[in-house]
Amino acid sequence: MSLPAQPPAAAAAGTAARGLRAARARQPRADGEPQHAHSRGQIMAVRVIAGMVILAIWQFGAMAFAPAYIPRPSRTITQIPGVLSDQQFLSGTASTLLAILEGLLIAVVIGTVIGLIMGRLRDVDRALRLYVNSFYAMPIVALVPLLTVWFGYTPNARLAIIVIEATLPIVFNVAEGARSISGSYEDVARTYRAPWWRVWTGVALPASLPYLLGGLDLAIGRALIGAVVAEFIAGLNGIGYYILFNVRSFHQDDAVVAVCVLIAFALVLRALINLAVRRGLPWYRAA
Amino acid sequence: MTESAPEAMIRIDRLTKRYGERAVLQDVSFDVAPGEIVSVVGPSGCGKTTLLRSIAGLAPPSEGSVSIAGREVTEPAEGVAVVFQHFGLFPWKTVFGNVAYGLTVAGMRRKDAEPRVRQLISLVGLEGFEKSYPYQLSGGMQQRAGLARALAIEPRVLVMDEPFASLDAQTRDLLQLELLRIWEQRPTAMVFVTHSIDEAVLMGDRIVILSGRPSHVHDIVDVGIGRPRGREVVDSERFRVVRDYLWTVVMSNGAGQSRPGSADEVTRAGDPPSAESAEGPGPI
Repeated sequence: MSLPAQPPAAAAAGTAARGLRAARARQPRADGEPQHAHSRGQIMAVRVIAGMVILAIWQFGAMAFAPAYIPRPSRTITQIPGVLSDQQFLSGTASTLLAILEGLLIAVVIGTVIGLIMGRLRDVDRALRLYVNSFYAMPIVALVPLLTVWFGYTPNARLAIIVIEATLPIVFNVAEGARSISGSYEDVARTYRAPWWRVWTGVALPASLPYLLGGLDLAIGRALIGAVVAEFIAGLNGIGYYILFNVRSFHQDDAVVAVCVLIAFALVLRALINLAVRRGLPWYRAA
Repeated sequence: MTESAPEAMIRIDRLTKRYGERAVLQDVSFDVAPGEIVSVVGPSGCGKTTLLRSIAGLAPPSEGSVSIAGREVTEPAEGVAVVFQHFGLFPWKTVFGNVAYGLTVAGMRRKDAEPRVRQLISLVGLEGFEKSYPYQLSGGMQQRAGLARALAIEPRVLVMDEPFASLDAQTRDLLQLELLRIWEQRPTAMVFVTHSIDEAVLMGDRIVILSGRPSHVHDIVDVGIGRPRGREVVDSERFRVVRDYLWTVVMSNGAGQSRPGSADEVTRAGDPPSAESAEGPGPI
């Protein structure tokens, strides 16, 4: 059986905006081409089978080649109820995930403002682009030790790293979007004598929204990295620290459960954004 | 002329526009009276769009001036609406939002704008599509919305930049007649840029022919066909005469700009490039 659920577009990593688009292209569409017209049920079935195969490889691989303390699905699954009812896990996870949401929110606001300014004011763009690019290219987690000195071993250090991690791809993408706005939209706004602020809010911002969403997609991943690394280094209570602590106290299966929770969180967040896009920005697919 | 020297609604006075060293328009002058439609034709790349952008206040003249109702245009003027070739609808706004744009930008509340917006949407035949987004509409319907948006501000001057050029032939014919019908209800000074000779004759009271590089006014033709106009106009003798004259002028101008003996190339301009044409710089 082939894997029809994955069109070639999904393979092209490209920009995040394209990635998001590809993700949506996988949704069944009324006007979809016949070769992609598989029911949701079939797609799910293929996914479940693939997941079982991966788990089986892991299980038997670990049994055949790995020492007994290496986690394997059969043991990890039995740990799920215990981990999910562990008070320390719950409070740590809540603290991490809330920090990620808060950081993403701050990053969206800051990143959109800076990105729009860079994308629309050529002088600002020229002045800042090199620095934004180099910041974007560097591993931000290298800043964690510095931030722990500046903010102390507090959740503020974690929030700071999340914000920095998440802001950069948003700045980058929104600036790209604002730069590439079709001049004809601006002409329209100008012929109707729109004041400058209406051009920014009414034309530049909505026209950059697809790029903002692409940046947000990247930002989620980076925010997770920042949060977990900050907890590793600063020893802050959170899901990252929970993982570290359990690995070091020989509870590797519990750590794997926590890792899976992180994965699930990222997937749910992206799915929610996708849903919001389809509900709130129906024009976006065609734009 | 029954009226004694009517004040021009649009006055283009020795307009010259340069981009860097290159002049696109040179000493272009003509007037448009209130309620008059002036078509502008000329070979592609002759600066028709630049002319429109100057009238719309989007491209300041290098020399000379454009005035609307006696006021020199230095920025987009009030009461001037542009209909763009590529519609220029905002994809994130519904038909209603797009048509209402000029009104809301002018400070009108959505609620107050609603009656007029609805009236215009029905005038252009888009009832029932108020909540549709541009991507859900055909090209013809998008341009209907673009037209409604322009008309919504009750413009004194309508600037049409090849508004039907990107539509299929049938839709174009239909919309031309609809535009004439709408215009009859409320005649507005209009500059109608087109590359279609037939369209220029059908729409215009007068036709400005641009030619040369940089472009100047080669001739201004009185169409001399009464209004209201309908489909039957194209079968009239006068229509044929004016059209044939325009063809002769525009074609001879077009040929005059290329190398000698290029009349043949003009007729072949639409052919796909073949292997033989690889022998040096071909026709542009």
